[in-house]
Amino acid sequence: MDPNSQQSGNMEEVKIFDPSILPPCLDQIDLAYSDSDVLSENHCVNEDHRMPSDPEGLLDSADPTSEESNQPQEPSSTDMQKLDIDDDRPLCAGGSETDSGKASEDSALVDNGQDDSSEFVVTVLARGKMEEQGMGMKGASSPLCDTPLGPPSHRNEDVTAESWRQHRKHVFVLSEAGKPIYSRYGSEEALSSTMGVMMALVSFVQSGDNIIRSVYSDEHTVVFMQRGPLVLVSVSSSRQSEQQLRNELLYVYNQIVSMLTQASITRIFEHKKNYDLRRLLAGSEKILDGLLDLVDSDPSLLLCAVHCLPLASSLRDSLSQILQKAITPNLVFSILIAKNQLLTIVQEKMVIDDARLEPADLHLLLNLIGASSAFQAGEIWTPICLPSFNPDCYFYAYISYLDPPECTVCLVLLSTDKEAFYSVAECKRKIEEAMQAQNALNAISKAHSYSVSQVGVSDLRHFMYKPFDVPDNHRQLTQFTSPEMEAPYGSEEEQTRLLDLYRDMHSRIHSTSRPLKLIYHVAERETLLAWVTSKFELYTCFSPLVTKTCAINAITKLLRWIKKEEDRLFIRYPPKYSTTPNPSKSSRDGH
Amino acid sequence: MPQASRTKKPDVKVVILGDMNVGKTSLLHRYTERKFKDTISTVGGAFFLKQWGPYNISIWDTAGREQFHGLGSMYCRGAAAVILTYDVTNWQSLAELENRFLSLTDTANTDCIFAIVGNKADLTDTLAHGPDTESERGDEAQPEVPCPTPPGTPLQHKQVSREDAVALYARVLRYKGLEEKACLPAETVCFETSAKTGYNVDVLFETLFDLVLPSILKKRSEGESSTVDLETPMEVKRTKAGCCA
Ligand SMILES: Nc1nc2c(ncn2[C@@H]2O[C@H](COP(=O)(O)OP(=O)(O)O)[C@@H](O)[C@H]2O)c(=O)[nH]1
Ligand SMILES: [Mg+2]
Repeated sequence: MDPNSQQSGNMEEVKIFDPSILPPCLDQIDLAYSDSDVLSENHCVNEDHRMPSDPEGLLDSADPTSEESNQPQEPSSTDMQKLDIDDDRPLCAGGSETDSGKASEDSALVDNGQDDSSEFVVTVLARGKMEEQGMGMKGASSPLCDTPLGPPSHRNEDVTAESWRQHRKHVFVLSEAGKPIYSRYGSEEALSSTMGVMMALVSFVQSGDNIIRSVYSDEHTVVFMQRGPLVLVSVSSSRQSEQQLRNELLYVYNQIVSMLTQASITRIFEHKKNYDLRRLLAGSEKILDGLLDLVDSDPSLLLCAVHCLPLASSLRDSLSQILQKAITPNLVFSILIAKNQLLTIVQEKMVIDDARLEPADLHLLLNLIGASSAFQAGEIWTPICLPSFNPDCYFYAYISYLDPPECTVCLVLLSTDKEAFYSVAECKRKIEEAMQAQNALNAISKAHSYSVSQVGVSDLRHFMYKPFDVPDNHRQLTQFTSPEMEAPYGSEEEQTRLLDLYRDMHSRIHSTSRPLKLIYHVAERETLLAWVTSKFELYTCFSPLVTKTCAINAITKLLRWIKKEEDRLFIRYPPKYSTTPNPSKSSRDGH
Repeated sequence: MPQASRTKKPDVKVVILGDMNVGKTSLLHRYTERKFKDTISTVGGAFFLKQWGPYNISIWDTAGREQFHGLGSMYCRGAAAVILTYDVTNWQSLAELENRFLSLTDTANTDCIFAIVGNKADLTDTLAHGPDTESERGDEAQPEVPCPTPPGTPLQHKQVSREDAVALYARVLRYKGLEEKACLPAETVCFETSAKTGYNVDVLFETLFDLVLPSILKKRSEGESSTVDLETPMEVKRTKAGCCA
């Protein structure tokens, strides 16, 4: 037997009163740029006419306050009218019609500020070795033709087959000692030599005090990420930016942490360097597989924002009240989900004062629930770590479906007390009763996502809108809204294609070297416009024949429509309850 | 009004323990849903209520990572029966029962019944290619169709023999400080099953449910507060063995 497996991994419980356990939120990668970056990369054509923060010269400078000041401002239609888009040079999107030379010049970058020659050696080494190991440096089909969602199990794939190489995105997880932990396609055993090579690569570079971050070839981007004793590798032909791929690897790492905690992972490998972590993750591959499918198909992970199910605010409020009333000591989050979208979330007062639930944590939680949902008759009680909240502690999650056998409405109650199953299950009974009394399930079942036609703007096919701040509450859960993907994006292939276009716009908007605030992109089959301000981030997709003026008018109308509907589209004021056993607190709050 | 089945208090608790991938969830799924499905992953523990005659039996299906988060003892607290599950094609899975899982049962009832279950018997035994006949249930929708094994697929090497399981049972009793003679005989509580074909699955669960009935009756007579407090371990010593056969 293995001595490691015997250690009594007693995790500290989350003490919600202790502010020290509430680490600052993870950097939001997609917000990480400053205006000074923009300045240094200014590509203006007519510089005398344009504002410094207007790198592509897309914004007219008539309104000097619109983009420069950091004062939150409601985007008004007058601001909108002043938009003047000069530059409709087609931008690279998935490489279909554009100058890919430009794209690679933009993005081809290994680590800035590192020794170029050693980087070069490593790159060459990487290519050579990877080819030898069948890491697929050649012959990939067009990334647009592959669908990322394959059949559920890829464990038995022949890793020497051409089809294995042609997967659009491989993800590998290995330990620092080079032991395979996870591979998206094919079994880790079959890939152990490949993983060994990757590890050799990583340690070779480390020995030179460098960190290998990425390797580029014509067809593939290889991104390495080390987190503690784990090394994660993405081999992608999806043409996503390094930053996006890195963000995806971070989701994978955090999903592993959500099951084991970072502290446990560290401890295991301190104890035994070549521990086989698969022993602890066996059976969890499906959870990681599911996550990677989500990463490819669900824009909420790209945007780091939560998608709410549109709901009349009165109904959402009454659901929140039901949750608010069904409490027990140490309950910290009550979450109601329908059709994989958020209905409402109620948080413990003390918790929300100090921190908020990060969208990334909620995505990991939802994925975990989804992966285990095949057997929905039971009530689940599971430890779960929310890595952005605190990577070293467990919460205890009660998960149960309220509408068997359909199982579309799911209740998640998070407690800090691991023994609380029976009292938390009792909360569920109360919630169930109250919902039955109000016929809430019936009302929920009628709620659904909306069609873009409801916006009433012709030529607008689809959009994603993510507000940065909700008035009065800067601790709000980051959300976004988006209509159903409809024709011509009805098929999985077309949806993937649209998401690829969005991803490309997203990477340009968030480029660390040359961030853009506005992109107007005329593609072959559609026209896209992406716009980021201090208030929101917006991606829109129009029919290809739309004119610039039309698109700008359409966006004005769209923003008005969102404003009008925001009570229905977003959770505006997340309700709270108090379950802290602290007597002064609870008496003050009347519980 | 809340659904009746949801408000019932469990009368007794059964816990399924064992390493990941031995087939714990598949066994329970086979028993309750009459199906074998290949894509179920267990997150933490899953709590089920099973109506058995007039009684409600709660069953905890666990993930197999319990030593990591210390929830194992919570799942086992007050259990009347523990099903220790291994995979007949994997010797390590039997060893893990002793190494990692047995100590979790310290919080179970002192008169807790232990069953030792070797699953995936279909991989090593042609015998296990059909469901057990003794317990053919009337309510079954259709005759059990064993998952087709391609002709000529060689059976795998059986790494764990029945004798190994029986020997483990004896060690479990010793660990618990119980007299072998005073306990249920190994023949009664050692099973080889296949969640895939259904072989011995009903027999396993139904034998155990019958075996825990006395525990329910005792509990009922002890505290008329028919609300069972599963948090409190039963302190009552079991005096007689075979009281339930
Ligand atoms: N051949 C065979 N495979 C099984 C049997 N029971 C489970 N499996 C497979 O073993 C794997 C693990 O099963 P699962 O029930 O998730 O195991 P758990 O982790 O103990 O709950 C799955 O791929 C099942 O399909 C069985 O009786 N025979
Ligand atoms: Mg399981």
